[in-house]
Amino acid sequence: MGEPDDTAAAAFERFVLPEIDLLLRVARSLTSNYAEAEDLVQDTLLRAYRGIAGFDGSYPRAWLLTILRNTHINRNRRRRPDLLRDPDTALAQLADTSGGDRADAFIDRSIDTTILDALDALDEGFRLVVELVDIDGLSYSEAADVLDVPVGTVMSRLHRARRRIRGQLAGSGFEPGPSSRSGDMREDGTR
Amino acid sequence: MTGWFTRLFGGKPSDELDCHAVAEQLQQYLDAELDDEDRARLIALHLDKCRDCGLEAAAYERIKSTLSASAPDVPAESLERLRSFGERLARGEGEPTRPSPT
Repeated sequence: MGEPDDTAAAAFERFVLPEIDLLLRVARSLTSNYAEAEDLVQDTLLRAYRGIAGFDGSYPRAWLLTILRNTHINRNRRRRPDLLRDPDTALAQLADTSGGDRADAFIDRSIDTTILDALDALDEGFRLVVELVDIDGLSYSEAADVLDVPVGTVMSRLHRARRRIRGQLAGSGFEPGPSSRSGDMREDGTR
Repeated sequence: MTGWFTRLFGGKPSDELDCHAVAEQLQQYLDAELDDEDRARLIALHLDKCRDCGLEAAAYERIKSTLSASAPDVPAESLERLRSFGERLARGEGEPTRPSPT
């Protein structure tokens, strides 16, 4: 047992430092670029450092994501609705596979492109939840912490967003199986 | 149990899920967000047996894998700066490089 400052420092080292990678990825989803994301995480680390003495050690990731969210709001920066992917790069990738006998690879990339284009076309609220869960790897609960919404809302937005992406796949001729089904998912996200 | 039940009554045993029930929880299942392990097992069983639902699941798995693979690489230098910053904070070296954000 050391001085209180030592205890806080140890807690910071134990709970905060291992999450920096995740914080940076989530911050990128919130800000759409790494320069802003780095600033946001740095501010988040400062706030976490100041608050670590009052943190009880339970659910450190949720605690940090809440700080990240509040810091983001306080920074009052508008998120730019772009930059997930460079469309020119995607076109170049398609062109790269246009010759030769790589039909499967071409189809794979076409499917990827359709999926990512469909993601880009989503409204921000829907796109962000997909980015947090499917790209950043957050759980429903963690995404709810970042967005400050109930878990049910995360589920509802996520499921609707995925269904729209799937609709784009089907509309582009990539429907993988029989389409119409009677038992579709509910949108309210209840368990 | 499934075999004799079906042979005797020609229907599904009571714990077997129908397509509608599976569709309702498919996303949670694919996200490993179902708390009920028995339920997850029944969904897996259904997906294995039902072609339509299996294809439905495969489509969403494909979407998830594409999205997951699209994650941009975290810039190493950015991560290193932040780790260094965090370590300096943990060592009690104050708040070295930034003005207060509050």
